[in-house]
This record gives sequence, C-alpha cells and structure tokens, in this order.
Amino acid sequence: MDLELPKDVQDKLAALQALSEKAENGDKEARNELRRVLRESAPEIVLRASDIGRRGQWALIKTVAANNPLTEEALMARLDLMHADIAGPDPSPLEILLVKRICSLWLLIEALDMLVNAQLSSNLPREHRTGMSFLRDILKWQENVSRRYLAALKTLAQIRKLQSNTPGIQYNTQINLR
Amino acid sequence: MGWESRERGTRRYYTRSRWVDGQVVREYVGSGPAAEIAALEDEYKRQQREEEAAFWKEEKERLEARAAFLGELAEASEVLLRAHLLASGFHKHKGQWRRKCGS
Repeated sequence: MDLELPKDVQDKLAALQALSEKAENGDKEARNELRRVLRESAPEIVLRASDIGRRGQWALIKTVAANNPLTEEALMARLDLMHADIAGPDPSPLEILLVKRICSLWLLIEALDMLVNAQLSSNLPREHRTGMSFLRDILKWQENVSRRYLAALKTLAQIRKLQSNTPGIQYNTQINLR
Repeated sequence: MGWESRERGTRRYYTRSRWVDGQVVREYVGSGPAAEIAALEDEYKRQQREEEAAFWKEEKERLEARAAFLGELAEASEVLLRAHLLASGFHKHKGQWRRKCGS
C-alpha cells in the first residue's frame, strides 16, 4: 500500500516551506506570493494528505482488530465519532487535516496499547513473553506517540484560538487595599 | 548452559546458568540420560524464546511500517499550518504565534 505523498504534492509543500521562510524573515513579496500559492495548492495538499490519512487509519485498524470484522467496525465507528466530535460543525480544511492526524495518532496509541497488553497479560505463558528490551522499546514508542498526540491536540486548540476573532477571556481581579 | 568436561575423565557434565537475585548462578545438572533430557528441554525452550522474539519483532516492524504515513500527515499539516498563519498575518514571537498589529 502506497502511503506516501506524491512527488507533485511534496514539491508544493517544499515551495510553501521556502516561501514561509522568506515571509518569516520579513519579505513582504514572499508573504503575498505565499497567499497566492497557498490558495492554489492547499486544497490538493489537504485532499491528498487526508486520503493518505484515511488509508493509513484503515491499515492500522486492520492491525489492531487482527482480522476481527466486529472490532474493525467498532473501531471505524469510534474513529468516525471521534473525528466528528473534534472537528466540530464547520471545520476548515486545515482543521480537517489536523483532526485526521489526531485521530491517527490515537489509533496508533491503541495499537501500541494492544501490544503492551498482550505482553503483560497474565494469560500469556511465561515462555511466550519477550524480553524486557522489547517492552522498553514499545513503551518508549508509546510515550513518543502520546507526546505527539497531545502536541497535535494543542496545535488544533491554538489554531482555533488564533483564527477566532473573539479575544480570549481574561479575568482581572482587583483588590483594593485601602 | 552447556556441556563441560573435566580435565581428567571422559564424561561430560551438563550445567545451566540462571539469574537469582541479580546474579548468575550455575546449576549442575549432571551427566547421563537425565542430563541429555535436560539439555534437550533447554534447547527447545531457547528455540521457542527465539521464535517468540522474532514474532514480536516482526509485529513491531509491521506496525512501524503501517504507522509511517503519520510522518507524511505531520509534515503536510505542519507546513500548511505555518504557511496559513503567516499568510493570515501572524508572526512567531519567542516561539508563540501572534497577530501582526494592524493586520
């Protein structure tokens, strides 16, 4: 299964990256050009990346469910629900992509949980258990994925806050001493 | 674990090592048919452990390969996010995105 972004999409991402760098360094021309390129390329990038996300999620579901159709269905339904829940009623294309990433990371956490649980299960005979180094590897990976999952959630929250026109609620407490 | 022979004599003795309270303890099993059976048993267990380890390693590699798409998703969303914010008039200040004054 090919789960890589096609060459033309990668080129578009590289162009956006280069323009972003220039714009970040204060190049006004580059900022205008960035707006134009973003308008042109963003829909395709979001479409292609979302497609990879959807197919990747399906591959992960197959792994987690271990060919059990009922578990596959349940995971798919849970993922759809989660997707709708996080995306909200009117998500922007960028939000859709971020939500796809969040849901995929959640799925990977589930898959890693399954691996760890299988190893720690009391039903698994001692001779069927792997060494501590394997478990350590998996736990490290799990920790890394959890960190990325939380970071992705934070990014989504940040982008929503930045995009909304309403300023964040600020509480000021005044204490008069006299 | 293995067979040993002493300097004098032709008999071989089977011994096995195991961990006890953080130390390797060598256990003397002996020679003769009982030792042969113990050696075969140990060899079988070792093979089984190796097969299990290979199975789990394969599972992990399979999962890694299937999760590789996350790198593509991360790259696409991060590049788009940055470009989108810059194009909307934001700039990064000490690691935080802020809206430019007047934009």
